[in-house]
Amino acid sequence: MKGRVLDGCALLMTDRDTVVTALEDLEADREIALGEGESVALREPVPFGHKVAVTAIDTDDHVVKYGEVIGEATERIEPGAWVHTHNCESTRGRGDIPKPNGSGVVAEGERR
Amino acid sequence: MAEFTGFRRADGSVGVRNHVAVIPTSVSASALSRRIGADAGERVRATPHQMGADQPTPAREQTERVLAGIGRNPNVGAALLVELGTESIDVEALADRIAESGTPVETLSIREVGGTAAAIEAGRERARSLVAEVADARRETADASELVFGVECGGSDATSGIAANPAVGNACDRLVEAGGTACFSETPEFIGAEHILAERCADRATREWLLERVEMRENMAQLMGVDLRGAQPTPGNQEGGLTTIEEKSLGAISKGGTTPVRGMVEYAERLPTGGGLVLMDTPGYDVESVVGKVAGGAQVIAFTTGRGSTTGNPIAPVIKVTGNPKTWERLSNNMDFDASTVISGESLSDVGERLFDLLLEVASGRLTEAEYRRLEEFAINEIQPEELVGLRGEAR
Amino acid sequence: MTPETETRDAPSGGVTDERAAFTGYGRTDGRIGVRNRLLVLPSVICSHLVADRIAARVPTAVSAPHDHGCAQLGADNDQTARTFTGIGTNPNVAGVVVVGLGCEEIQSDDVAARLADLGVPVRELSIQSEGGSDRTIERGVEAATALLEERRRETRGSLADLTVGIVSSDLRESTVERVDPLLGSFARRVVDEGGRVVVAGTERLSSHAEEAVAAADESVAEEFGGLLETRRLTPARTTGLRRRAAERSFDELSRPWGGLPIRAVLAYGERATHDAGVGFVDAPSGFAEAATGLAAAGAQIVLHGTAEGIPSGHPIVPVLKLTGDERTFRALPEDIDVDARSTTPEGFADRVLDLLNGAESCAERHGLTEFAITRVGPSM
Repeated sequence: MKGRVLDGCALLMTDRDTVVTALEDLEADREIALGEGESVALREPVPFGHKVAVTAIDTDDHVVKYGEVIGEATERIEPGAWVHTHNCESTRGRGDIPKPNGSGVVAEGERR
Repeated sequence: MAEFTGFRRADGSVGVRNHVAVIPTSVSASALSRRIGADAGERVRATPHQMGADQPTPAREQTERVLAGIGRNPNVGAALLVELGTESIDVEALADRIAESGTPVETLSIREVGGTAAAIEAGRERARSLVAEVADARRETADASELVFGVECGGSDATSGIAANPAVGNACDRLVEAGGTACFSETPEFIGAEHILAERCADRATREWLLERVEMRENMAQLMGVDLRGAQPTPGNQEGGLTTIEEKSLGAISKGGTTPVRGMVEYAERLPTGGGLVLMDTPGYDVESVVGKVAGGAQVIAFTTGRGSTTGNPIAPVIKVTGNPKTWERLSNNMDFDASTVISGESLSDVGERLFDLLLEVASGRLTEAEYRRLEEFAINEIQPEELVGLRGEAR
Repeated sequence: MTPETETRDAPSGGVTDERAAFTGYGRTDGRIGVRNRLLVLPSVICSHLVADRIAARVPTAVSAPHDHGCAQLGADNDQTARTFTGIGTNPNVAGVVVVGLGCEEIQSDDVAARLADLGVPVRELSIQSEGGSDRTIERGVEAATALLEERRRETRGSLADLTVGIVSSDLRESTVERVDPLLGSFARRVVDEGGRVVVAGTERLSSHAEEAVAAADESVAEEFGGLLETRRLTPARTTGLRRRAAERSFDELSRPWGGLPIRAVLAYGERATHDAGVGFVDAPSGFAEAATGLAAAGAQIVLHGTAEGIPSGHPIVPVLKLTGDERTFRALPEDIDVDARSTTPEGFADRVLDLLNGAESCAERHGLTEFAITRVGPSM
């Protein structure tokens, strides 16, 4: 598997990542050792496959997994918090947000 | 040297199955084709679909490309084309396109033979005579370089990007190393990872085409005026821990492995043999996407799934790979390969090798779970009128 | 071939209602079905073969396999979901087993909950929660069999209890001259007696929007005009039809519904709720997609005018096929129900009444069904 398994229960894909993936259902208050004496305590239960913040992420800051941007925080996310659709949103495919200068994709008059 | 046994066709390609395909040219002949397929024997596979008899030109051309591609797939030993007789698709021209590869083709017009009951009878007879025609074919040894391997993901969860997709990617790397072709697609699932794929493109034309198509798919969300998250990732993806399309994409692209991207083809366009890693521009919608690759000539599909999708294909065996240990256990009747061992510590290389071996076994005739159960969903991607107006005109 | 195995005895005793036209199956909402189908509805393409297998093992059950239910955006996704509700509440449907995969956009339990809210006996299951296809088929057969117990009893109905679906699909000369007048005369009779007619085929009218709106009931004029304008700006799904429509007069185009005013405009998949008269369904004229739109609007039967002789029927509504084309009638003698060249309006009405009372249509006899849902956006 790519990445580093932390404490036998969470996967850090690259060292740039701000989230880890739970490799089992994790309960609240569980401590995950991050290495070099640091650790993070879960603020809430996190199901298998879901993500946990390992650093604080400010509102509008990037959420990073696989060493790449996977979205933006919609609120401040504390270390140990579950990261999902309630606090992280996509920056792509956002047809619900009008592009500033018109999208240029919809021919004029084509849509109601 | 990696080898398998398959059916050598007149054009030199090698089938891993020896099916007789019953292919309707429109929805008006679909119900009847399904009936013929069900009654004409074990080797016969119908490909019913819902495309209209009089589609706008770009949509019709895509339908024709799919139908011709299905008929020419090396797994098809012979094909029976069924029409009502009023379709804008010219059944004889379609038959010629298929026959170019040396595949025996027959046609059947429901109107010409006098209606449903007569067509079912005539269809069965023709299908049976085609079965007799292909029955003598015997498997012979072939080199792995003659395989075109399509890879797909569906019902993804967080394990897909960690375990199942990298395992399939490793098998793709092995096949490309052996001289074969691996193809992955699902353009909406490049969104957020396209810069990584672009860097891996072997030439500038491929890179530009890739980026253009990703933009076009992303713009569809704009066209419909909604957040893509209404459709991608799906509710099941989200329940499985995938939060955004970027996250899904970054996991999805690992199923193609790590070799350079040699080229990109249109939906259902012919894939090269011995072509290395090639992309196809398809929707992320599994069944339509798998059909595109099979029409492109893929003889075997690997389909990774975290949540557990059970779909197959009438023409190509579909190997179900899951990286989720719970899904492996719960849906054992529908899964072929357990990649969750990646999470419990087996090396990617070992898992990839096991999967590559399974690919060769399935190519050589081992049935997949979907084949046992005759789960063979089939659907053609229809170019929608809204798409024609909003996107194609500008993007091409 | 058809799953209809129950016999419908003539009602015995009681006062005969002179207006009664047929014996059907009463539903809890007061509507009357003319068939008693148990519907196995996949919420997504990924579960459609499983739905087929369940239906194949249960008497009177039909499945409605389709290509959709996932990777659809916005209005396109909403339309598919709406169609499921419309189809599930069709009066011909005695109960519904909704079968999902589990990870799809349109979730099977949401579909089932909407149907249950509307009084439809319903069961729901999904492949991922049942643990695979084999188990889902077993459990689905059990669920469908349990629903058989809940089916409604026979009830007399009149034309006022009907919603008749009409699709005249090609605008060929033989259809306009021979088939459409028959359809129109029956439509008028149904409406005269207080029933509903729903018609499909938006491409027919987009080139004659002004006249169509002028002929519509004032209450729907604006909505109707807006719909026709939107469709005018989008390429038609069937290219030849729109061309032929442009060459026809509005009088000819409105023949299949007897030139009656449009009293309701329905989105594809929407249920008709207007009191009586003609409703226009925003559906293409292609048979399979049109029939589903009409069935979702609540039509108990569909009358299909076709010069080409498209042979397929529909899983939940009996379909009567009419042609005015001599060659088609000769080519497909067992697939065409009505030869419009030699049928009077009275004779045609009798054929429809027979169908309502359980006589099989050609497509039912052959067991040929086709189920398709139209799209308004691309697959993602």
